Amino acid sequence: MKYKEKKDYGRWLWVLPAIALVICLFVYPLGSQVFYSFTNKTLIKSTYGIKGLSNYTAILADPSFWLALWTSVKWTVLSLLFQMLIGFSAALALNSIKNKVARQVYRILLIIPWAFPTIAIAIIWKWLLNGIYGFIPTLMVQMGFAKQLPQFLSTPEMVMPTLVMVNVWFGFPLIMVNVLAALQTVSQDQYEAAQIDGARKWHMFWYITLPHIKNVIGLLVVLRTIWVFNSFDIIYMITGGGPANVSTTLPIYIYNLGWVNKFVGRSSAAAVILLIILLTICAAYFCVLNKWEKEADS
Amino acid sequence: MNMLTCFKRRLGEVGCYVYVSILAVFAAFPLLWLFLCSVKESGDLLANPTSMIPQKFTLANYYNVMVNLNLGINIKNSLMVSLATTLIATVISSLAAYGIVRFFPKLGNMMSKLLIMTYMFPAIVLVIPYAVVMGKLGLTNTRLGLVLVYLSFNVPYAVWLLVGFFKTVPIGIEEAARIDGAGRLQTFIRVVLPLVAPGLVSTAIYMFINAWNEFLYALILTSSSSITTLSIKLHTMQGADVLNWGDMMAACMVVVVPSVVFFSFIQKYIAGGMTEGAVK
Repeated sequence: MKYKEKKDYGRWLWVLPAIALVICLFVYPLGSQVFYSFTNKTLIKSTYGIKGLSNYTAILADPSFWLALWTSVKWTVLSLLFQMLIGFSAALALNSIKNKVARQVYRILLIIPWAFPTIAIAIIWKWLLNGIYGFIPTLMVQMGFAKQLPQFLSTPEMVMPTLVMVNVWFGFPLIMVNVLAALQTVSQDQYEAAQIDGARKWHMFWYITLPHIKNVIGLLVVLRTIWVFNSFDIIYMITGGGPANVSTTLPIYIYNLGWVNKFVGRSSAAAVILLIILLTICAAYFCVLNKWEKEADS
Repeated sequence: MNMLTCFKRRLGEVGCYVYVSILAVFAAFPLLWLFLCSVKESGDLLANPTSMIPQKFTLANYYNVMVNLNLGINIKNSLMVSLATTLIATVISSLAAYGIVRFFPKLGNMMSKLLIMTYMFPAIVLVIPYAVVMGKLGLTNTRLGLVLVYLSFNVPYAVWLLVGFFKTVPIGIEEAARIDGAGRLQTFIRVVLPLVAPGLVSTAIYMFINAWNEFLYALILTSSSSITTLSIKLHTMQGADVLNWGDMMAACMVVVVPSVVFFSFIQKYIAGGMTEGAVK
């Protein structure tokens, strides 16, 4: 079917609903958000005026913005690192289990956290880590690892590592499933050929498996970075950004400004800054990915 | 780096079994604990924080959340919102994905990349404009408003997934149908959709789960407990003066179990080559 692109207007009908949706649900809200960021709009008064860049200067001069940004970076880098490590290694391990039934059972067990609604993640982990009745603190005392019940969610130094652990628990299955799917597309012929040539397993992994799934991993890193950076629910519901703001990431900072304190203008400015950061990260990643694709094509 | 050594030293399957078993405990224990705590009596729950077996099996917590806390209304709301979102999003996104694959050989790649960019949009950036617009349209605190907003994260991702599925449909089959005189839409509905049915169904279920699990938009756009979803109901329950953990566990089970069950069904399809051998 030689496809004639120029004269066919009917084809636009197929994508029209999706385009309309994107305009209504993204372009318009984003435009209004950018507009608000130059105003002193609040959720309390209906009148507001244009204030130029004053919101931006106020945000950039706010030490708690920089603190939130730093918390976000820690949260993203640590979560992503451990999610990738565990997800990737779990996929490799599952892939080398030969028994099909066992593999299915393990797969389903390992995938469970991914299906958890965030509200349930928050509640069950708060309960498991509860400072009085929690399973984990009590077990630690009973087994002699701790003298008194550790307060995972209220000791400032322990809050971020605990939250990262919860996020790793939640996020590694997605990495695992995607890497596993990619692993299964590597053709067995190549391995057999390599085996006949006497290649070591490690070499096969490095020269056959890894190049084959490189793009999948790249895309996963992009998607997860953004997803984790933006994630709001888990932290909001477990700690609400506390104690004493140690777990306030950028999304929580924006939420507090806009929704709790009602400063829509200022919170919009923070949101626009968040977007600029994300776009920069995105652009950098896609440059790398495009380069990889071109290498693969040539 | 456990696995690399596993590879290197050819400890082989035993090492792998041990590793995935440890991970499986880590992954699945919270669900097991949730279940066990939901069938324990309140006294037992607080007196023996580490005992696995309930002293007495009871469904009192479930009875309490369903009857006294009226969780049924919120289950109904969550179901309505999620189903409506899934239906609308499936239609919009399958049309768009097919159009991108078949009719936009040049622009298509850019279109799907643009869509996935919107999927990466932080909900926190969109939520205040949504709240303002919904307020103007009079859709604050309605289920319809939630459905509209839920399309924003479901459609782009569904298009992205479906483009992958439609690409696997061999063009030869469609040509055959076209030669037999079927129109575009007919070819799409009668020939293409059945071929990608597993992919389509798993995408739809995935959208359902995403809508079922959503929290932030529901938190901001709905307030009265007769309209709001399960997630928000559970969130408000947490804020009660006396926190009854037994009730919380039972309510959590109600929101978790459908997600986990659906998920275990689709996980096979999400990662498979679906139409291999369709043309033979």
